Amino acid sequence: MTESLYGPDQAQGIWVYLEQQGGQLEGVSLELLAMARELADETSAELTGVLLGDDVEALANDAVAHGADRVLLGQDPELAQYRTEPYARVVTALVAEHKPDIFLLGATPDGRDLAGRLAVRLRTGLTADCTNLALEDDSRLLLGEVTGFGGGILATIKCEQHRPQMATVRPGVFTTGAPDESRKADIQRVNVILLAEDDRVEVLERVTEEGADLTRSKVIIAGGRGTRGDFSLLEELAELLGGDVGATRVAVDEGWIGRDRQIGQTGFATRPDLAILCGISGAMHFTVGVEKAETVIAINSDPEAEIFEHADYGVADDLFQVLKPLVDQIKQAQAR
Amino acid sequence: MSGTNHRDLRIICCVKVVPRPEEVSVDQDTMTIDRANARSIINPPDMNLLEMALQLKDQHGGEVILLSMGPPLFDEYLRVGLSLGADSAYLLSDRAFGGADTLATSYTLAQGIRRIRDERGCDLVLCGEESSDGATAQVPPGIAEWLDMPQVTYAGELSLVDGHLHAVREVKGGHEVLKAPLPAVVSVRVGVNEPRFIDFERKAWAENEAPVTVWAADDLDLDTEAIGLTGSPTSVSGLGQARSVERRREVIEGTPEEEARALFEQLQTFLRVRA
Amino acid sequence: MTTKETATDVLTLDDAAWEQVVQATGGAAAPCYQCGVCTASCPWGLVKDEPISVRKLMHSAQLGVDGWGDALWLCTTCGLCEERCPRGVPITDVIRSLRSVAWRQRNEPAELRTLLWGTYWDGNPWGRPPSQRNQWASDLELPRFSAEDEVLYYVGCTASYDRRMQKNARALVALFREAGVRFGTLGDDEPCCGESVTSVGNREYAQEIIDSTAQLFEEVGAATVVTTSPHCYEMFARRYPNLSDRFKPLHYTQYVAQLIDEGRLSFEHEMPMRVTYHDPCYLGRHSGVYDEPRRILEAIPGIELVEMDHNRAEALCCGGGGGRMWTETPAGERFADLRAIEAAETKAEALVTACSSCISCLDDSLKTSGMEMPVFDVAEVAAMALNAKPAEAEPVGAPA
Repeated sequence: MTESLYGPDQAQGIWVYLEQQGGQLEGVSLELLAMARELADETSAELTGVLLGDDVEALANDAVAHGADRVLLGQDPELAQYRTEPYARVVTALVAEHKPDIFLLGATPDGRDLAGRLAVRLRTGLTADCTNLALEDDSRLLLGEVTGFGGGILATIKCEQHRPQMATVRPGVFTTGAPDESRKADIQRVNVILLAEDDRVEVLERVTEEGADLTRSKVIIAGGRGTRGDFSLLEELAELLGGDVGATRVAVDEGWIGRDRQIGQTGFATRPDLAILCGISGAMHFTVGVEKAETVIAINSDPEAEIFEHADYGVADDLFQVLKPLVDQIKQAQAR
Repeated sequence: MSGTNHRDLRIICCVKVVPRPEEVSVDQDTMTIDRANARSIINPPDMNLLEMALQLKDQHGGEVILLSMGPPLFDEYLRVGLSLGADSAYLLSDRAFGGADTLATSYTLAQGIRRIRDERGCDLVLCGEESSDGATAQVPPGIAEWLDMPQVTYAGELSLVDGHLHAVREVKGGHEVLKAPLPAVVSVRVGVNEPRFIDFERKAWAENEAPVTVWAADDLDLDTEAIGLTGSPTSVSGLGQARSVERRREVIEGTPEEEARALFEQLQTFLRVRA
Repeated sequence: MTTKETATDVLTLDDAAWEQVVQATGGAAAPCYQCGVCTASCPWGLVKDEPISVRKLMHSAQLGVDGWGDALWLCTTCGLCEERCPRGVPITDVIRSLRSVAWRQRNEPAELRTLLWGTYWDGNPWGRPPSQRNQWASDLELPRFSAEDEVLYYVGCTASYDRRMQKNARALVALFREAGVRFGTLGDDEPCCGESVTSVGNREYAQEIIDSTAQLFEEVGAATVVTTSPHCYEMFARRYPNLSDRFKPLHYTQYVAQLIDEGRLSFEHEMPMRVTYHDPCYLGRHSGVYDEPRRILEAIPGIELVEMDHNRAEALCCGGGGGRMWTETPAGERFADLRAIEAAETKAEALVTACSSCISCLDDSLKTSGMEMPVFDVAEVAAMALNAKPAEAEPVGAPA
């Protein structure tokens, strides 16, 4: 068996990789802190956040407010933008020194990029793209729940002998806790030592404020003929759920929304976790574009509409009369 | 080593054959995934990487080499790739490779790539973004680490400029443009292109004559402790059918307010409390 | 590069292209004397400022040059030009042949590749799971076809997977059962007929599908094969080898009309409805079946059939053939919009047709233009008539 750098007997503490961009911690990092806080309390372990970047000290305090007992802060101009190898170099050194038991990262493009590299460098197990985390009853091993085969199969994965037990977790699985500004913690600046070979890949350009890419959206609120051109409630719902608005060909043809929002045979094939289809009749030309959605909700005033055959939950009612109270309830819940 | 000469480009494409997702089920008694009755397909994201490799070959010349790991039946799928335009294929096939997780899989593929590199050269290793059976997306960075190559994940566009790779890579909310030296490992975003169809002028050659080399564990320079089940730190401790591929088709009825309330309950998992 | 970047008017002779084009078309365009009736007939002229020049496409086939641009892929293969061609040029076959050359040159529209891959991996151009092909009939307990059956019912890809079109298949099963027809289907093993692949012109792949499907038909002893779709029917009737003396493909409208003629199927109750019938291109012009669907409708007491301005051989295409279902047609350029207006002018209560492409295109256009006219399949109307209430239960025209 390939051996990891250290074994279970030496390992201690729970780590969360704190991903940051544009002067903010990523939502998934805050979600992980909240979840890891529970795990840490359950096992009386220390919760450490690992924060790399340039001039990101202020974010360490955010991590503390969200539950970290300690933040390992690595700052260097070379770390200003995420790059696999410099980041992997610093994190590997930290892991080798502190020997965490569990190491959690967000399953974002950068989080997965880093986790996959680290796991091999550390010769340890990685449970990728988890939809849930738990601790096994007696062993206290980390259990990562993952889906496979288009979401049809659910598996629970553990890593018995190798440390750290690594997992990446899908954004949105856990809920961010309210920050507690009174929390105090240890913010440790760590040495950043990079090698010349870490500099192989150069970032020529990075743009992060782009429009929606429906093929990547996790939540899609799509409208068709039944919206009669009024997408305002759909947009509001999308905003509340952190999703994007999509549309049928008809809605695009009518000029109610841009072509970049068209779903279906001649539009985008999407695969969101949730699709809410509003006022869409359900012609196959459209439905092929949402077949891979995990959960589909359809709202259409015609109870005979084909779309209900393609939905997990169907509401045969006027979409505006249903969406309005739905949006209100979500707002209320989020205000609480 | 072929170096970074464009005219001599060697692209190794890691492709996987997966069972059709809707045809696999969980055997609750043995806690294993039953794929015996499932038909197979080429992992759909891998069709996108193949198209990207073939486009690079169209522009720069060179060779597209397929690499896969799995049972002998994968041979016929590799021949599909050959009929699209790939030049040769390698299949790593040995019972000892079975049960591998991402660490052992990436190691085994990396050792296969090493041997191809030694014999034929290698400028670029292309992988699919993820596989539809496991969807882990962790194999490409793993291969890069084993081979000590730079990596670019979630690439949407690739070009070769002055012997370097320029790649447009997806990041959260946007993209970045990376410049990397060759050889490099790239994972290609699913859906970035429309994979070309079979070239019928190549088909007979691909099916009958094209070289598909099978390598067993003995053919590679391997640490036998690092492959298959033995080399896999992770294990499956539970298995279940998540949901049927069929839609539930549940009807929610009531007044609009009641319906909204019921939907609200269904949306709980998607609601996040804002900090 | 060949002549692709140069305008189609400028002829740059390219030997490789010449050979490919001549070989693919087999001289089919030779009789063309460039009169231009085809271009004048093409329905694209009704929706675009510039019609597509069918004449130029034929000219390039005669000369053996490539570089056809988008025009080649706009053709819906409706066959109206062919109907009117004074020289009898098989224009749509020539166009399919030119498309086959374009595939070989890798000049096909990229979006058409998905329908080929869908057919390749999934056995249907929609890319739907093969294990779900027979799901539409899960409650119908359809028997598996055996050689002793009267009819092999070939459901087809679209009626199998498209929920709207599944209704047509269910209606047809009801008609078969009413008439006591001994029939069976091939269930999940039903293969694609290859029509989509044929119409977009990938000739080599189409031939593979034809060979394997024909072989399966032969193995199961298929004789009378009844199809839901006119497209599948046209494939079996015109593009499949004659498997045996008994092999007899029929479109369902032909078979149902036959059942009525034989007295096996009749409609007892009045179903008052004014309808107009849209001739699908592949049933009408391509197969010459104009009367049978009308005879079925007229066999239903109470049905009043009114014709649109353009009917039978002059019918206007819905826009869905020739692979157009897989490519985007901009709003304002859809033939079905014009057809919807013609249908509305008849003051019919329903538009009836016998092809899934026609149903989806026409239904879409009727809804988009706000017309409240339902679109039915002939089979659906006939099945409705079987279930029609006896007249005395609800007197027609009685005051509410």
